[in-house]
Amino acid sequence: MNNPRQITTLRAAAVISSTIIGVGILSFPRYMTEAGNSSAPLVAFCGVLFSFISYWLLASLCQRFPQETLFVFSRRLIGRPLAAIFTVVIMLLFIVLTGLTVRQFGDVATTVLYKKTPIEATIFLMLLISLLSSRRNVVKFSYIHFFYLPLIVGSILVTILLSLKNVDMLNLQPVLMAPSLQFWKGAQEATYLFQSSFVIVLLIPFMEKPGHAVRAGAWAIFLSGAIYVLIVIASVGIFGAEETKLLIYPTLEMARSAAFGEGFLERLDAIFIIIWVISVYTTIYTTYYISAYLLHKLLRFRDQRMASTVLLPVMFILAMLPSNVFESYRWALHLGNAGMMLMFGYPLLLWTVYLLRRHKEKVTS
Amino acid sequence: MQDWKDKYASYIDKQQSSSTEQKPASGSRLTGELKTDLPELQARLGENGDLVVRDFLLFGAYPAAMLFFSSLVNMEQVREHVLKPLMAPPPGQSEVPEDTGGMIHYIWSTAVQVTQGTTTADLSALPQAAVKGDLILLIDGIPEALRMEMRQIEMRGVEQPQTEQVIRGPREGYVEKLENNLSLLRYRLQSTDFRIEISPLGERTQSRVALCYIDSVTDSSLVAEVMRRISLIHTDGILDAGYIEQFIEDQPLSPFPQVQSTERPDKTVAALLEGRVAILVDGSPFALIVPALFNQFFETVDDYTERFIMGSLIRIIRLIALACSLFFPALYVSVISYNPELLPTDFAVAISGGRAGVPFPAVLEVLIMEVSMEVLREATIRLPQMIGGALSIVGVLVIGQAAVGAGLASPITVVIVALTTIGSFATPAYNAAIALRMLRFPLILLAGMFGLYGVMIGTILILNHLLYLESFGVPYMSPYIPGKWRDLKDTLVRVPLWWMRRRPSFLHVRDTDRLPRSVPTAEIDQILRQGDETDE
Repeated sequence: MNNPRQITTLRAAAVISSTIIGVGILSFPRYMTEAGNSSAPLVAFCGVLFSFISYWLLASLCQRFPQETLFVFSRRLIGRPLAAIFTVVIMLLFIVLTGLTVRQFGDVATTVLYKKTPIEATIFLMLLISLLSSRRNVVKFSYIHFFYLPLIVGSILVTILLSLKNVDMLNLQPVLMAPSLQFWKGAQEATYLFQSSFVIVLLIPFMEKPGHAVRAGAWAIFLSGAIYVLIVIASVGIFGAEETKLLIYPTLEMARSAAFGEGFLERLDAIFIIIWVISVYTTIYTTYYISAYLLHKLLRFRDQRMASTVLLPVMFILAMLPSNVFESYRWALHLGNAGMMLMFGYPLLLWTVYLLRRHKEKVTS
Repeated sequence: MQDWKDKYASYIDKQQSSSTEQKPASGSRLTGELKTDLPELQARLGENGDLVVRDFLLFGAYPAAMLFFSSLVNMEQVREHVLKPLMAPPPGQSEVPEDTGGMIHYIWSTAVQVTQGTTTADLSALPQAAVKGDLILLIDGIPEALRMEMRQIEMRGVEQPQTEQVIRGPREGYVEKLENNLSLLRYRLQSTDFRIEISPLGERTQSRVALCYIDSVTDSSLVAEVMRRISLIHTDGILDAGYIEQFIEDQPLSPFPQVQSTERPDKTVAALLEGRVAILVDGSPFALIVPALFNQFFETVDDYTERFIMGSLIRIIRLIALACSLFFPALYVSVISYNPELLPTDFAVAISGGRAGVPFPAVLEVLIMEVSMEVLREATIRLPQMIGGALSIVGVLVIGQAAVGAGLASPITVVIVALTTIGSFATPAYNAAIALRMLRFPLILLAGMFGLYGVMIGTILILNHLLYLESFGVPYMSPYIPGKWRDLKDTLVRVPLWWMRRRPSFLHVRDTDRLPRSVPTAEIDQILRQGDETDE
């Protein structure tokens, strides 16, 4: 009954994909078309591939240490001080990421849905429910993601299907474009959305089959990647590349265009926003959870409650720092860049050290 | 008989003397002298109107006395089966042996006609035995007492359960007496593996608590955990199964019940067969079933006795009703006050026309109506049925017609409130329905403050709480979480009985199969799987 290894591969995959599908879906088609015009789906697809490579680097390394998290075995590989520095950097990254994500969410909620509600209240409520749920253990954490994922995926797919009838195939051509610098930059921006797949690091010590970590991630990234690509196809197909670039939230416009049954519900966009609240929540929950977990390990708190409570004001202040939508968007891009370097660089460093050490052991024996 | 004035005087005397007097040491033994033992025993039992002490000559020769409570024992049976043979001359030809063991054995084997009894030499155990309903026989010169179980209590007959009515299914419900309830279980579950463990609980009431499970099915660690939690209960009285529930539940602060209580023996047996544990208490017509999951609170016996398609459909309707009772008013408030564009234009115009004369914002209007509906509901439950009917008519008139006429509420609000209330009555488990009904008030407030976003936040909070809850180590939202395909056969839909060949895995049962695997599948199952080959 009290077996600690309770997280199945399916559930791990659910955690990762519900984490990935988040605040970005609303504006994602815009910056994909900015990078690749009508071949935006291809840009998104390349982004998915890149992020899977990055994920593979991390997860395949962690698989070799099925009993421990990254933060524990990194101490053995590169020494205590260096590992601690990297852990602090990762924690800061996730704290800022949480703050900016919740800010982006607040921006959408105030501009689209509730023009009179103060953004502080929206953000605070969201942080509060993340705080309350971050006090639970990892198994409960995975339950929550597993339960919400069908709701998120199902409703997004229904919206896409309903809007597909408006798609004009001409808008999607030409599919292929000569890859330029901008193309690759767009693909790189797409990978920012997938950075939270880092959460697998926390899950591995609790997985039933830690050896399936890469497989879980592959499913998850494929599923959420497919949804992102579909969203891009749908919105570019409906509005055309040039129009999509002008819309701040193309996905939302897409949902607006999809009427559901004559006269039953006038507009779907509010419903869509509501479901989107869940998907944002699962994303913020994960980043919040990672931050709280790291703080709790770093400061050796007795349990995670204290750590998650301490983080709330920090994240709230961070979320209030950007003065407007454009600033928060720019900051998010910078953070994405930094995150990508860390997510590629750190596992690469660990891999090198790991391979060198193994080589040395083989030579000595 | 003394009158109350004398009683009062002697009581005051005794109170004053007993404060100086030392209590007799417990564990004292019988002396064998009737003259000392009997007053000692009477003193320990105190002054009681229903305590009967009867002196007589055993077999016409030996001085003896018996002692019992007339309220617990049938006097006629005592006279017929105990007093009559004991006062008659010794039966049989043989001499009455006069040593301790011989005398007791002689009485037990030839004279009294009682099914159960024991002997004891411990004086301090006797008062408790008498209070339990035993008849105590003391014989002069014998330092042992004979306890005979003569307990007989008048009980109401087995009736149809009041709180869980069914269309199709057994009509029997539990009564207050434990023996009756256990026999209702035993005759449904004639298995040698069925175990009933009985022990008293409660420092003063000493109520007998029975723990039932099927040995070869139920997870032994679950049984051990239930026993552990019951053993930790320290209280002076257990008057109902509900008392135990509050001591053993996982999360006392949660609004959701984590222990299922039922009046139906058939429901209890079904739970036992799934590998759960049932707890019954003497004096309570309710059995507790653990672990209890969220899913169980909208399942009824009808789902299983009716054919599976109907059962499943009705279950889905019940779930819709449950969701209605929780979300409807909150959704209404948020759509009206924040997102009227969601509604079709004609409908929105109609609603705002209805609300034209109402002086309050939508939140306040809905809250007032919901609270008055709750008051009405609570009032009708407590009233006798004749008055209750009249009250509900008045209430319906006030809340429905008059409130709209007076401009307190709009007609659509009345419709919403009515749907909510009816929806909450469609939830079979009363305690779960109350939890959901109470949770809708914070949801309405959130809706009033933040619109749909607030409702969503509230929903996430409630769902997260449900996902976090556990009942005796089993996640409350099982089988949706942790999610196993084969456990989903009995959730939103109920698949045919012949398809449910295995027990729910989340209960960690010892025997996972309801039927041995060698038992062939039902004929219909074979046809569905392989096609009908016999006709060709």
